[in-house]
Amino acid sequence: MLEYFSFTNKLFKSSADANQGVFKGIRVLDLSHVIYGPMVSKFLALQGAEVIKVEQPEDGDVWRTGTYWDRYWKYSSPYFQYFNTNKYFIAIDLRKPKGKELIFKLAEKSDVVIENFRAGLVEAWGIGYTQISKVNPKIIYISCSGYGQWGPLRFFPSWDLIAQSMAGVAMATGFPGRATYKLQDYYGDFLPALFGAVAVLAALYYREKTGEGQYIDLAQAEVLMRIMHEWTYISVTGKEIGCTGNVDPTMSPSGIFKTADGRFIALAIANDEQFLALTKVMGKTELAKDKRFRETLERLKPENIEEINKIVEEWVKSKTEKEIIELAKKHGFPASRVMDDWQIVNDEWRRERGSVVEVKDEMYGEGTFPLSPVVFHKTPGKIKWLTRPVGYHNRYILKKLLGLSKKEIEELEKEGVIGYWDNRVGLRPPPYYDIEKDPIFNYNGEEGAGN
Amino acid sequence: MISKKTLFSIIMARRVRAISKKPQVFSKYLAEKKTLERLAKFEELLAGMMGSAEGKPEALDDIKVVEVSYANFAGIIAATILAEFGAEVIKVEPQEGDPARKITPYGVNINGLGIPFLMESRNKYYITLDLNSEKGRENFKKLASQVDVVIDATKPGLMHSLGIGYKQLSQLNPGLIYVAISPFGHFTSKAEEFHNVPDTDLTAQAESGYPAIHGDPKAPEPYSYPLRAGIWAAWYMAAGLSVAGTLVALYHKRKTGEGQMIDIATNDAITTWIGHSVIWGFTMEMPRVRLGSFDWCLYPYGYFKCKDGYLTITTSRDEDFRGLLKILGRWDLEDDWKYMLDRITDDIDRLETLGAELDKELAKYTRDELVKKALDYSAKASRDRLRAKGFPIIVKTLTPTEVLKEQHWKVRNTLIEVNHPTYGKFILPASVPKMSKTPPRIKQIKCDIGEDNEFIYKKYGLHM
Repeated sequence: MLEYFSFTNKLFKSSADANQGVFKGIRVLDLSHVIYGPMVSKFLALQGAEVIKVEQPEDGDVWRTGTYWDRYWKYSSPYFQYFNTNKYFIAIDLRKPKGKELIFKLAEKSDVVIENFRAGLVEAWGIGYTQISKVNPKIIYISCSGYGQWGPLRFFPSWDLIAQSMAGVAMATGFPGRATYKLQDYYGDFLPALFGAVAVLAALYYREKTGEGQYIDLAQAEVLMRIMHEWTYISVTGKEIGCTGNVDPTMSPSGIFKTADGRFIALAIANDEQFLALTKVMGKTELAKDKRFRETLERLKPENIEEINKIVEEWVKSKTEKEIIELAKKHGFPASRVMDDWQIVNDEWRRERGSVVEVKDEMYGEGTFPLSPVVFHKTPGKIKWLTRPVGYHNRYILKKLLGLSKKEIEELEKEGVIGYWDNRVGLRPPPYYDIEKDPIFNYNGEEGAGN
Repeated sequence: MISKKTLFSIIMARRVRAISKKPQVFSKYLAEKKTLERLAKFEELLAGMMGSAEGKPEALDDIKVVEVSYANFAGIIAATILAEFGAEVIKVEPQEGDPARKITPYGVNINGLGIPFLMESRNKYYITLDLNSEKGRENFKKLASQVDVVIDATKPGLMHSLGIGYKQLSQLNPGLIYVAISPFGHFTSKAEEFHNVPDTDLTAQAESGYPAIHGDPKAPEPYSYPLRAGIWAAWYMAAGLSVAGTLVALYHKRKTGEGQMIDIATNDAITTWIGHSVIWGFTMEMPRVRLGSFDWCLYPYGYFKCKDGYLTITTSRDEDFRGLLKILGRWDLEDDWKYMLDRITDDIDRLETLGAELDKELAKYTRDELVKKALDYSAKASRDRLRAKGFPIIVKTLTPTEVLKEQHWKVRNTLIEVNHPTYGKFILPASVPKMSKTPPRIKQIKCDIGEDNEFIYKKYGLHM
């Protein structure tokens, strides 16, 4: 084992820092807002894609002012910072014909377009797939909606939680006969966004081979339905699985149990081998011969899960958290701590892994942020910068990408076709920051030059 | 002779029918007749363009994948998704099969095969290799030297100790993409320390900090404990990330010819993709407390009880909240709870007074009444400047059985009924998402142990 881990440790630590990102040269026009759309482009931005995030002047993305418990971080929404790292921020009024013209010009030079407005809205506005693909047939266009772009529910509104309810996943979390709980932290946005990223990546790969673009219709609720066992279960048994509390009904024993020192541990047994290891550790090897428990499918019957869980619960009560984790390591059965946010942010493992990093940003200074849940040995992702105020990159992008002159840009500013922040926290630059001296904002400087 | 009253009701019924044909829209941009006609055409176009995968090319039809997982669905699902996108995926199992075959809700199975395995069996080839024998390992090397991707969801270091890990295989196949999936990953000191602890969804959720933010600490024990998310939240997240990582590496390989190793820690998938735990921890320097059905960032945003069951209510913006108060006839509450920042206070007791007021009002109505009230309000508000686009969304908190009846999913083929010669009749969720040119799809369902030995052994020149 020692040899293997010295090999892998070396392999991942040597990961080429100089790498420019796999998607350098891929441009993403991101018309999306909130979490669902922005997380699709975030995955690509981490891997070097040039993501141009378009917001409405003065309003900006609704998450800019969104936060928890009315706390802000350096006059900004900390979550917004995370959803939108490495992106270019431009603000174009989509309601103005000239604004639409700009969108078309940008789309012509882009590889991917992402939107998550209500279904049909971009088509109605004239910047949907049918219109954009006319000027750029190679475009990969992804529409992210609650229920998809066709079918009776298409106009029905959606947020993470609404999709959870419409998909039936809402009824899965909680103890039987008691209240049910939503999947926290907008799981109904983050998982669908990940599948959106997968689809865009597959489409990019296909385009590399054939030169063809395509349209992607991502539906939040459909992604949630894709991962549920209920449909197949119902069709086979005629019954729902329903809420099962802390029992994972596919594992026996399984649950979250309280230890002798008042901590919680999660324990779940997936197969006979692990069960044998657990019974040995508990000093109850006779259970591995008991016909109720010795075989996985038998052990999983509801009444048997209940029985074996009682035995495990008693045993956990007699041990400390540390003792159980040590035993799991030594004997090889699945058990883990129940971590909280504070433990996680202080976890050495995540630092060593590089999934949580210290970021130094020119506008916001130092902060701790998640980097990438996928660790690559040759092409690691990178946080180049956090977010910027509404419209911060207007001048930079319009000059560099569309070749507009300072005068033309000023004209667009005057007409309100492009715009900037208003005075709200999260939209404007932090008060300690002198935006007038910022080179990128003032037609000079190169983004990422300092990195 | 028809009475006036009857006539009136007939006319009304016709009108209702006529109105119900027109879709209810929630944006002034969609309300115009011309726009709706255009969108109806667009919908038709989409149904034709996206409705079926039949005869369409597959994005990954040039990619070959070998999957070795042992009682670990993160690996199985990752391989399945690649197979849905057209990769040739070969699952390697021991003679007795992957124990994952029996990981199934309440032990429910069809001829010994569990439901999750059946669900994730799509499009794969199933072969057996005894990796503990010299011949099996030689065959594995031969196989791995001809493929693009190896997915390893066994204990970290196991494949290496058998002489078939990334170090050995990358010498045979420098372009190989090796995807390692395990609880703590394949590197770092902790990964080494914990390499012997197997993976499950529940332990991965717990280590990710997910149950710690679910549940109600005010309930009596054990209902007050940190609560498991009632689906495989960690395994599916880790699988999705593995696929996304593989696709990045495949793109890189196509550009440069280079392969690489990718590491996914199931214990880190939720944490680092969702990110909230890290950010909250770093800004607040304390853990979140569990809040039952409250949210930290939005309110009201959760499940509520009304006269005849559960409802889901979201008011993500101030104007939405104002709409909710109007619907419930409780404008008097507006003054105290005007801004989102008022409604996401850390003063939970104060917030509960608002919750109690809302509960009181909601209890007066049925689910259908409230859903209709919200929809009508939103449809009107979207065309009315004065109402400032308020958009309170209220839906029924559906049970899976109710979801199965929804016509929309039938139109979109979201849930597919299969009539299988071996496994009988059952429903499978379709591949996601819908794509116009290279849609992911279910081509076949078969998963008997060693079913494809003959075909794959021959194709890759393995020794029987």
